[in-house]
Amino acid sequence: MKIVASEVTRKFRVGSAEVVAVDHANLEIGAPEFVAVVGPSGSGKSTLLNMLGLNDSPTSGKILVDGVDAASMSNVSRRKMRLLRMGFVFQNFNLFPTLSALENVELPMALAGKPQELQRREAERLLLSVGLEKRASHRPKQLSLGEMQRVAIARALANDPEVVIADEPTGELDSKTAEGIIGLLVEVGKRRSKSVIVATHDEKVVSVVDRTYMIRDGKLKLES
Amino acid sequence: MRYAKVIEEMNVLFNGRVMVVDSGSVVIQAIPIGRSMLPQDYTLKQLHTIAGVEEAVPILFITPIGVGEVIRVVPDNFSIGIPVEHWSSILGSATLRGTSGRFPANDSCAEIAVGCSLADQYGMAVGAEVVINDYRLNVTGVLETKIAMLARSFIMPLELAQNVYNQQESVNIITVKPASGYSQKDLADAIKQEITFTNALTDEERNDMVQPVIAQVGLWNLGLETVVFCMSLILVMTVTIMSVSERRRDFATLDAVGAPLSYVFRVVLLESSLIGVIGGILGVAFGSFTALAMASLYTSIPLAQFIPSIFEVVPPLYMAEMFVAVVGICCLGGVVPAVGAARTRMAEVLRAEY
Repeated sequence: MKIVASEVTRKFRVGSAEVVAVDHANLEIGAPEFVAVVGPSGSGKSTLLNMLGLNDSPTSGKILVDGVDAASMSNVSRRKMRLLRMGFVFQNFNLFPTLSALENVELPMALAGKPQELQRREAERLLLSVGLEKRASHRPKQLSLGEMQRVAIARALANDPEVVIADEPTGELDSKTAEGIIGLLVEVGKRRSKSVIVATHDEKVVSVVDRTYMIRDGKLKLES
Repeated sequence: MRYAKVIEEMNVLFNGRVMVVDSGSVVIQAIPIGRSMLPQDYTLKQLHTIAGVEEAVPILFITPIGVGEVIRVVPDNFSIGIPVEHWSSILGSATLRGTSGRFPANDSCAEIAVGCSLADQYGMAVGAEVVINDYRLNVTGVLETKIAMLARSFIMPLELAQNVYNQQESVNIITVKPASGYSQKDLADAIKQEITFTNALTDEERNDMVQPVIAQVGLWNLGLETVVFCMSLILVMTVTIMSVSERRRDFATLDAVGAPLSYVFRVVLLESSLIGVIGGILGVAFGSFTALAMASLYTSIPLAQFIPSIFEVVPPLYMAEMFVAVVGICCLGGVVPAVGAARTRMAEVLRAEY
C-alpha cells in the first residue's frame, strides 16, 4: 500500500481565529518501512496521521492511496480501507472497557464479517504474539498501561492490515514500557512486512526507524 | 379507564326498557344518584293506565356514597331491592355460586343474595348473617357475575329493602317494558306527559347522558397519555444522549477502525430498545400494582381481593399496549442519539480534547 501526502494543508477555525495544523506537508510511504513523525505536542502530528489514516480530509492538497485521491473515495470505501488495510494504535489505547482483551482484538474481525471461529483463533494468536495469552479474558481495567497498549497493537493487526498507524503509542507509558512497545512495533514492521507510521515526541524512536520526519507548527520536514 | 368500563357494563342493565325515575333524579346509566323517590303504588297505577306499558318493575336502588362523615368518590357496595319474580330483569344470566344457594323468597323478611366480590371480601357464604341498619339478614345465595356493580351488591326482595332502608312504599326506579308495537321513545314521551313528576329515559337517552362522560374520560386519558409519551420520549432521548456522550471516544474508535455507520447506529438503538424491554416489564408490573392499589384506595376493597382479578382491572391487552408503547418510545428516543453516535469522528474527538 502506498500512501502519498501531497501539499496537504489542514486548517481549523477556533472561534474567529484560523489555525493551520498542517501546512503544505509532503510525505510518502511505500514498501514496508518504519516511518516516524516527530514533533512536540500540538505540532500537528495527530492531524497529519488522521489524514493519512483517512479519518480526516485535508483543507487543500491531496492524500493518494495507491494512486487514488482519497477525496474521490466514498465514505464506505474509506471505512472499508480503514477496516481492512489499515490498523490504528492510539495514545490512550481506546480499548472498549466492557470487552475483554480477546474480544477487543476480535472486534475488527467481527466488523469485517469474518467467521466467529476464525476471529477467536486469530485473536488468540495475536495476543500470544504480544505476550498476553494469559490475559485474554481480562478487561482493560484489569491490565497495566503497557498491557493495554499491547492489546491495542494486537487489535490493530486483527485484519492483517498493510499499514499500522500509531499516534503517540508511548505517550502514556513509562520509558521502560515504552521501549517494549516500540520494540513490538519494530517487530510488526520487520517480521510481518508492514508499513508502520508512528507519531511521537520521543526522539529515541528515531534510532529504530527507516525514516524520520520532523513537524513543527504544522510544517513537515524530512529529517533522515 | 376502569370506571368508564364499569359505566359501560351497565349498558346491559335494563336493556330494552324505559327507565322511570323522579324528575329530580340524576341518573348515571342505570344508577339514580341522590334520594329522589317515586311513590310506588301511585306511580305503578298511573303507569298501567298508559297504553304500551306491558310490564312495570319497581326497584329500590341504594348507593351509599358516604360512610359517616366521609364521602366516597366510588361507592364500594350497593343494595338492590326488586320483586323476586323480576330477578332476571336486573340479574340477566348471572348464576348463583355452588349448588346450595337459592334466590331469596319474595315474602321473606330476612333473606338476601350477595355479589361474589362482597362475599369474597367478607368471607360470606350461604347461611352467613349480614347486619344492615340493625336488620339481621341471612345470605341464601352468592351471585357469580362479571359486572362490577352487581358483584358489589346486596340483592333482596323489594319490600325487605324498603324496610331496611326505611323507604316504605317508595322506589327510585321503575323499569317499563314496552308492549309490542310501541317504541321506547313514544312510551317515554307518554309517561313524561301523563306522570308529570317523572322522567322517563330510553336506552338511547341513558347512553347519550353518559357518553359525554365516557368521552371526557377518554379525552383525559388521551391527553395524559400524550403528555406521558412526550415526557418519556424526551427523558429517554436525554438519557441516551448522555450515555452516548460519555462514550464518545468509543464510538470515535469504532469510526476510526472502520465500523460501518449502520453498526454504530444498531448498537445504540439496540441498547435503548433493551432498556425499553426491561423498563417495559418493570413499568407494566409497577403500573398494574399501582392501578390495583388505587382501586383499593378508592373503593376500600382490600388490595388482596383485587390481585386474582388483576387482568380485569388492567386487561392483558392494555398491558401489552403499554409494553409495546414503552419499547416503542425507547426505540424512537434512541434514534437521534444513535445518529449522533454514528456520526462521531475520531478527528473531531481528538481535536476537542486538545
